[in-house]
Amino acid sequence: MTCDLNLNEDQRQILGAASVMLEASYPVARRRQRRPDDLAELAAFGAFGLALPQDGGEAGYSVVEEALLHVLLGRHVVSTGALAASLAARLAANTGRSDLADGIVAGTTGVCAAIAAKDSALLVERGEASFALLFDGRELALLDMDGIDARPVESLGHGIPLQRIASGEAREIARSADDELADTADLLISAQLLGVAEAARDLTVAYANMRQQFGQPIGGFQAIKHHCANMAVGAEMASAQLDMAAIALRDRRADASFQVAALRHLAEKAAIFNTRTAVQVHGGIGFSAEADVHHYLKQAHLLSRLGAGAGLLAMPAPLAPHEALIRGE
Amino acid sequence: MRLSLTEADEEFRATAREWLLANAPKDRAPPDGQASRDYALAWLARCHRDGWSGISWPTEYGGRGLSQERLLIWYEEYVRARAPSVLDCTFVALNHAGPTVFACGTEEQKAFHLPRILGGKVIWCQGFSEPGAGSDLAALSTSAVVDGDHLVVNGQKIWSSFADVADYQELLVRTLPGSKRHQGLSWVICDMKSKGITVRPIENMAGVTHFAEVFYDNVRIPLSNVVGGLHEGWKTAMTTFGFERKTAAIGLQLELSVKIEDLIALAEPLPGSATAVRLGELRAEVAGLRSMTYRALLREPANASDGSLVRLSFGELAQRVYRAAMDILGPDALLNGSWTHDYLESYSETIAGGTAEIQRNIIAERILGMPRIK
Ligand SMILES: Cc1cc2nc3c(=O)[nH]c(=O)nc-3n(C[C@H](O)[C@H](O)[C@H](O)COP(=O)(O)OP(=O)(O)OC[C@H]3O[C@@H](n4cnc5c(N)ncnc54)[C@H](O)[C@@H]3O)c2cc1C
Repeated sequence: MTCDLNLNEDQRQILGAASVMLEASYPVARRRQRRPDDLAELAAFGAFGLALPQDGGEAGYSVVEEALLHVLLGRHVVSTGALAASLAARLAANTGRSDLADGIVAGTTGVCAAIAAKDSALLVERGEASFALLFDGRELALLDMDGIDARPVESLGHGIPLQRIASGEAREIARSADDELADTADLLISAQLLGVAEAARDLTVAYANMRQQFGQPIGGFQAIKHHCANMAVGAEMASAQLDMAAIALRDRRADASFQVAALRHLAEKAAIFNTRTAVQVHGGIGFSAEADVHHYLKQAHLLSRLGAGAGLLAMPAPLAPHEALIRGE
Repeated sequence: MRLSLTEADEEFRATAREWLLANAPKDRAPPDGQASRDYALAWLARCHRDGWSGISWPTEYGGRGLSQERLLIWYEEYVRARAPSVLDCTFVALNHAGPTVFACGTEEQKAFHLPRILGGKVIWCQGFSEPGAGSDLAALSTSAVVDGDHLVVNGQKIWSSFADVADYQELLVRTLPGSKRHQGLSWVICDMKSKGITVRPIENMAGVTHFAEVFYDNVRIPLSNVVGGLHEGWKTAMTTFGFERKTAAIGLQLELSVKIEDLIALAEPLPGSATAVRLGELRAEVAGLRSMTYRALLREPANASDGSLVRLSFGELAQRVYRAAMDILGPDALLNGSWTHDYLESYSETIAGGTAEIQRNIIAERILGMPRIK
């Protein structure tokens, strides 16, 4: 078949290996400590340079495998530093800073995500990062954090280690307004949002099947079942769209930007809906900070602040209507 | 994972496009009755004459035996050319009765019925639902008693789409007297011209008369018309549902991609306006539905019930698109134009073929593995 949406053997292997690594090194329960993630294991896995050409040769994988990997990162609520590193390595490589790119891929040069906000940028899980990747609408900028004094700020429900630049001006060493990079950013952000949505669905179904009230699992109540079915539908649509968008971007198809923008909307919607519903289905424990549900919810909100899908009406959709066809498009 | 069409695929697309543009009727299909039958059969016969029916059906029964990607291409060009709606009175035969006969029927049944279906010679309808058995189909009570080499059917079906213009019906009946629920049922081919059948058409809320009640008074059906084994009808019906929920609606799902573009063109929303945001989001969802359609055809299903995810997404999304159309039309929405018609018809998309609530039950219980508790 010339068209095939099954995972191939290579893809199954790398995703399987990634799952094992993530289960071992990034269990979601680690989030209870509210410390910036240590991304060394991910760097060692090769996560940040997956789709970059290696040693002047071909890249080992494409943006398709990278997107599927980022779904798993989303499932494990991995720091947005992983996103920042993957994109910063591209930006550095695109602008001729191959040493910097190599350091980022190897994990020796840390990069955190930064979000353009009122007053000054917010730094997410900065940890030891010496660079920040600023998500500024459709543009990405690489900031050198040398000599920058940043102070912790209270994040939503103390959920995510956030800092704000207190003094000093971060030196912008590269900026990109390139559509392909912006689309790649949105693809990976969306992949993580999808991962969050899927994890919230699975966590909730497992809880509903276990938790007993009125002498039966609450998962037997139809109101609960239908909440879960809604989560499944949203995640499935976003997941099918992820395949479509990732393939379109990899193959540089004309509809790539549109497919990514559509994905961005669907993934964000699924992540917010599923995590919100997860809180509800968990009842009191879902509202508590002692269960993990709130980490997913907050991650969904954080991710939805990164990047900016291209305008959904700005581009032609793939199934153009008849008139355009007759005009000889 | 790839979606790369070969040159031959692209050639197929170009040929399909050209043929559709030259041949798709420009006049609107009559909404119901004998005229709708004549129109639909003439169109199907024309498709067949030029090799455009049964794209993915096996060649030995008159199909083209082409791949799933060709099927997708065909439907994409079909909806872009605004060819007649796939949901006309040929729908049941082409999309689930025919495929069921192919999957479960005898050689004689296949050889007789499949070429007639593809050739645009016959209309089929479905007789599953009864007044007392809708969502709970297994509660059906229409009986068929074995009498020599015949079944004798007595009872009533309802909501049987196109029954007033149909030649055959996929009929689900209780053949084992005293049997309960899923046991003792049979899926039989019923000749709608048989003695003892009365059809009472029912007008729907869109003002058209698609479906009907069917009454059976000692209707004799040869035992050789049983498909998939006597008393094994539930299994055959599940095969029918498999097609109904998985592949039957491909054309309809893709058609929504064209409808949303038409709606955007109609609305001409100001950038940044609430209407622009709403239409942009709907456009994204329609793209997601198309991706789900691709996935349904081009990926091994993880679960036999996966079709319910697409079916439910489609039904609710179609309704949202047409609700938006009603808002955009303003007072004109009160006139019986095509958007208003589509809007009213779209209410059926979360009822027919298993309601949205039933699809949610299926997703929860069979895909997510949640407990089945009464
Ligand atoms: C346009 C159209 C065409 C049709 N064509 C055909 C046809 O060709 N052949 C045919 O056999 N049938 C046909 N049907 C019938 C269709 O399959 C039934 O209408 C459908 O299965 C629902 O059954 P019902 O109408 O008896 O509703 P009911 O089953 O009475 O349902 C009423 C309400 O109760 C809800 N409900 C029922 N059970 C449950 C449950 N367990 N959990 C939660 N909610 C529940 C339903 O979701 C619905 O909202 C058609 C229907 C329509 C609208």
